[in-house]
Amino acid sequence: MRRGILAFVLVWCFGSVAAWAQTPAPISAGTTITDAAAAKPEDKAAGDPAGTVTGTAADIPLGDAKKGLTLQDVVGAVGQNLIATNFVWTLIAGFLVMFMQAGFAIVETGLARAKNANHTMMMNFMVYGVGMLAYWLIGFAIQMGGVGAVANLGGTAPLNSEFTIQLFGKSWGLFGQKGVMLGGATYDVGVMVMFLFQMVFMDTALTIVTGTAAERWRYSAFIISSFVMGAFTYPIFANWAWGGGWLATLGSSYGLGHGYADFAGSGVVHSVGGVTALAMAIIIGPRIGKFNRDGSPNAILGHDMTLVLLGCFILAFGWFGFNPGSTLGAAANGNLRISSVAVNTMLAGMAGSFSTMYYMWIRYGKPDASMIGNGFLAGLVAITAPSGFVNPLASVIIGLIAGILCPLSCEFVERVLKLDDVVGAISVHGTNGIWGVISLGLFADGRSNYGGAWNGVPGSVTGLFYGDAGQLVAQLIGVATLIGFVFTFSFALNMVIEALWGHRVAPKVELEGLDIPEMGSLGYPEFVLKPEPPLVTVPAAAAAR
Amino acid sequence: MAFLGLAVTLVGFLVAVSSIGVASSNGIRLVLVLVGIAISLGGILGILNPAYQQHAVWKR
Repeated sequence: MRRGILAFVLVWCFGSVAAWAQTPAPISAGTTITDAAAAKPEDKAAGDPAGTVTGTAADIPLGDAKKGLTLQDVVGAVGQNLIATNFVWTLIAGFLVMFMQAGFAIVETGLARAKNANHTMMMNFMVYGVGMLAYWLIGFAIQMGGVGAVANLGGTAPLNSEFTIQLFGKSWGLFGQKGVMLGGATYDVGVMVMFLFQMVFMDTALTIVTGTAAERWRYSAFIISSFVMGAFTYPIFANWAWGGGWLATLGSSYGLGHGYADFAGSGVVHSVGGVTALAMAIIIGPRIGKFNRDGSPNAILGHDMTLVLLGCFILAFGWFGFNPGSTLGAAANGNLRISSVAVNTMLAGMAGSFSTMYYMWIRYGKPDASMIGNGFLAGLVAITAPSGFVNPLASVIIGLIAGILCPLSCEFVERVLKLDDVVGAISVHGTNGIWGVISLGLFADGRSNYGGAWNGVPGSVTGLFYGDAGQLVAQLIGVATLIGFVFTFSFALNMVIEALWGHRVAPKVELEGLDIPEMGSLGYPEFVLKPEPPLVTVPAAAAAR
Repeated sequence: MAFLGLAVTLVGFLVAVSSIGVASSNGIRLVLVLVGIAISLGGILGILNPAYQQHAVWKR
C-alpha cells in the first residue's frame, strides 16, 4: 500500500514538473524568435512542389536585422496580413461589382430595339466614366468624407469631417467634407480601397436610370443627368446611410434599433436608382407607340432575349461582390459571415425567379422570359439590404415576395401610372429596393456580430419578428427619405435639365432610331430593320425641337 | 400642379422625420412615419404624375 502511494506521489510530481516545463513562458515584444524549421536557401532552390518550405518565418520582414526575428515583427506581420486580407477581399468584390456594368449593359440593350442598340450600350458604357468623374471630383467626399475610421480597412482616419446641424437636441450629419479628388491626407491606402468599392456601387445606381429612359433620352442630357446624380443625389443619401449621417445615427441618438441599416444597398443603391428612374419616366414621357389613345399599353419587345438573360446571370455573378463584399473585409470583426451573406444572396435570387415564373405562368399562361429575369434580379435587389442580418429561410421568403412584387409593380407602373419603363427598373430596383429595406426591419434575426456593434449601437441588428420594433421604424424613416426626399431632389434636378437642355430626342429621331442621329453609327450595321408603324402622336415638346 | 406635387412629396418626408422629435414612443413614431410615406406617395402618384399625364402624348 505504501509503495503504491509513493509511486502515485512520484508520478504526480514528475507529471507536474513536466507540465510546468511545457508551459510557454510569456514573450516580451523584444524577444528574439528563431525558426528552426525555416527553409534554407538551398532547399528553396531545389523547388517546392509540396508547398512545405514556402511561406515560413523566414518570410516575415525583420524590423532590425541585427536583432533577428522578434515578437514585434511577428505581430506586425499578423496585423498587416489581416488588413491585407480585407483589402484583397474588398478590392476583388469591387471588381465583381464593376463587372455588373456589363450585365446592366446587355440587359438594357437586349430589351431595347435593335435600332437603339448602339445608343443604349453607349449610355451604359459611359455612365461608368461620367459617374466616376463626378464621384472623384466631389461625390466621394460628400458620401464618405466624415465616415471616420473603418477598422476592417486599417483606419481610413483621414475621412474625419462631417458637416452637422443640431436638430431635436442631437447632432445630424448631412454631408462629408474630406476626400475631394482624393487629395491631401486622403491619399491613403485604406481610403483608396473605400473609394474603389463605393465608386462601383454608385455607378450601379446611375445605370439603373438609363434602362428606364432608354430609346428616347438625348445622349447629352443623359451625360448631364448622370453627372449630377453621381456628384450629389447618390452621395447625399449614401452619406446619411453609410457615411455617418443622420439616418445611420437614428439608433445611437434616438434609440431606434441600430439606426437605418442597409447592409449592401437595397435602399442606398437600388432604391435611389429606382426613384430617380421613376422621376425620369414621368418627366421624359413614354416612347411613341407605347400607349394607344385609350391609354391601353402596347408591348414593345426588345431585340435579343439571349442578351437579357445572359446579362441577368452576369449581374447575379457580380452580386457576390455586391453583398458579401459589403463586409469590407474577410478577417476578424465577424466577417466570416461572408459565407452566410453569399448563400442568402443566391437563395433570394432563386426564390425571386421561381415566384415570378409561377406568377406569370398562372396569370398569362406562359412563363415570360424577360419577367423571370427581372424576378431573379428583384430577389437579388431585395436581399441586398438584409443579406448580412437574416438567415437562409428569411432570404427565401424575402426573395419569393420580391418575385411577386416585381410583376405586380410592373403592371401598376404601366397600366395605372401610364409610365413607360423599358426594362422594368422602377419595379425591380425601386419597389424591391424598398421592400428589401423594410424586410430587414422585419426579418433581421439578431445573430450577426460585426465587431459587436452596428452604427455605433452595441449588439446585433434585430427586426420586428425577433423583438425590436424600433429597427422597423428606422427602416421606414429610410423609406420615407427615399420617397419623399431623394425622389423630390432627383425630380427637381432633372426638371431643371429638362427646362435648360431637354431630355428627349425629336420624334423623327425616335422613330428612325437613336443610333445614327445620336451616336453616328448603327449597333448592327448589317441588320435590315423593320420600319416603324405609322406615327400616331408626337410629344409636343419634342416636336418643337 | 407639378410643383404642388413635389411640395406635398417633400412634406411627407418632413412629417416622417419629425416623428423622431415629436414622439418618444415607437408606436406613435411608426404611425407618423407611415402617414409621411402615404403623403409622399400621394404627392407623386396622386398629384405629380397626373399633372404630367394631362399632357401625355398618347392623349392627343
